[in-house]
Amino acid sequence: MTTPTTPTPTGTAIRLAGVSKTFSTSSGDVVALDDIDLDIPEGGFVSLLGPSGCGKSTLLRVIGDLVTPTTGTVEVAGTIAAEARRTRQYGMAFQAPGLMDWRTVRRNIELPLQVQGVGRAERRQRADEMLELVKLTQFADHRPRQLSGGMQQRVAIARALAMQPRVLLMDEPLGALDEMNREHLQRELLRIWRATGTTVVFVTHSIPEAVFLSTEVVVMSPRPGRIASRIPVDLPYPRTDETRLTDEFQAAERHVRERLHAVLEPTTAGL
Amino acid sequence: MAATRTAPRPSAAVAPPAAPPPPVRARRGASRQLGRTLRDLATAAAVIAMALLAWEGYKALGQATGDLVPLTSLPLPVATDDAAMPHVWQVLAALAGPASTASDQTLLAYYLQQTSVTLREAAYGLALGAAVGVCLALLMRQLPWLGRASMPWLVVSQTIPLVALAPIVVVWIGGAGFPSWVAVTVISAYLAFFPVTLNTATGLLSADLTHVELMRSVAASPLQTLLLVRVPAAVPSFFTGLRLAATASVVGAVVGELSAGAGLGIGRAILTAAYYYSLAPANLYAAVLVASLAGVVFVQVIALAERLVLSKREH
Repeated sequence: MTTPTTPTPTGTAIRLAGVSKTFSTSSGDVVALDDIDLDIPEGGFVSLLGPSGCGKSTLLRVIGDLVTPTTGTVEVAGTIAAEARRTRQYGMAFQAPGLMDWRTVRRNIELPLQVQGVGRAERRQRADEMLELVKLTQFADHRPRQLSGGMQQRVAIARALAMQPRVLLMDEPLGALDEMNREHLQRELLRIWRATGTTVVFVTHSIPEAVFLSTEVVVMSPRPGRIASRIPVDLPYPRTDETRLTDEFQAAERHVRERLHAVLEPTTAGL
Repeated sequence: MAATRTAPRPSAAVAPPAAPPPPVRARRGASRQLGRTLRDLATAAAVIAMALLAWEGYKALGQATGDLVPLTSLPLPVATDDAAMPHVWQVLAALAGPASTASDQTLLAYYLQQTSVTLREAAYGLALGAAVGVCLALLMRQLPWLGRASMPWLVVSQTIPLVALAPIVVVWIGGAGFPSWVAVTVISAYLAFFPVTLNTATGLLSADLTHVELMRSVAASPLQTLLLVRVPAAVPSFFTGLRLAATASVVGAVVGELSAGAGLGIGRAILTAAYYYSLAPANLYAAVLVASLAGVVFVQVIALAERLVLSKREH
């Protein structure tokens, strides 16, 4: 599975139809998501981009069946989201690495397999494969706190991939890193994605990050959270640091930026 | 009350993929922990030495001024004659002397022997109290309504004066045909369970939300989330409670012995020394000294266990 293959979108991995989510708070109902329709192809890398409060994290959690939508349906890999979660189709990574400091790096990666009931020997073997994938083999027996923030995030990604999920859900996983680290991990993430062929849904508020990583950028608008526009990114893979300097990249970035600002303007005008 | 576990994470720059791993220091952890414990014991010894100096200084002052605050006619709060405040060396001499006229055992050996009985009761009491405390905390976590309903009663249980409760426990357990040390152990456990329950319950609630969400995302059962996330997250808080419980269990054992009537233990020895105070005042101080030092050692043993268990989480 470490052989790089070009992802070939074959079918629909995730399908949302008429999804809305209303949270009841003491100061009244808050519409976090309003009438979302979205298809994400198998093997795609789709970024959810938008200002804070646009519901992108909620949308990610709806896809992962961590938040139940008020209306609408979520299908993942041809079944409803609840069933997909029960049959362990998801890997998740969050803004905080969320590693357990009472476990070694390897045992952190083994955790989802342990939950799944995978035997000790196979667990270890799979964890070692994942460590190799994120290039942290020599840190297997370290404690999370012995690692830098970027390395911890790589361990979290390895953990998310340990069960070989159909869908990888990532909530601003690189948000807390500095720029150097961030670009380094973006390249790593693309390499891992191409190696595994997993469908990725990636929440971010960084335009260059969304453009660099994605096959498609979904721009969301706030209050209520809606999909404002869907922008395919046609830059060829593999994308490298040179890609960031090309006119095509910068044109794509400008295009996404314009759409995002179009979303923001009504709000700013109102202020 | 509970220890929080939000230590800052190292923000070192990312290492290039081929960076050599930093030297593993985990294996030296145990000896480092032992060194720390020895240093703590040395600090405790220094504090004791200063307390003894203060004792002798106060006594010398009182003897010089006729028990008056210097340059005034106000009396000192405590008289400084040898009956009220024996010299430190008189206490030490009493420890080195015979335990009784008919015995060739020294008083120190006798008190240490009695203390070992008390510490055994305290250790059993601590183990029993910790087990009950952890079970209660788990129950309260899994059944929140039970937690809310029972917490006021747990607080009440700790506000009943122990000296009032201890004789009842002694009567009940003695009546059931158990030896008196069992009653003392139960009284000790009664004091010990509360800090364990409180801190462990707090610890079980302190689990990282990211961890809980992660467990949900991989369809973990509630039991798996409890055992793999909440229980490990509660361990530092549990040890905070256990350290408080260790102190409480020694107090409980000593007070329990006072109520237990005939029997062994340093609590009984303190009571006997108090009866014969006018004949041998130094003996009472000697017994209290031995009991206090034993308590310090007991709590330090628990603290050492805590450090050994938690040392792996650091660095």
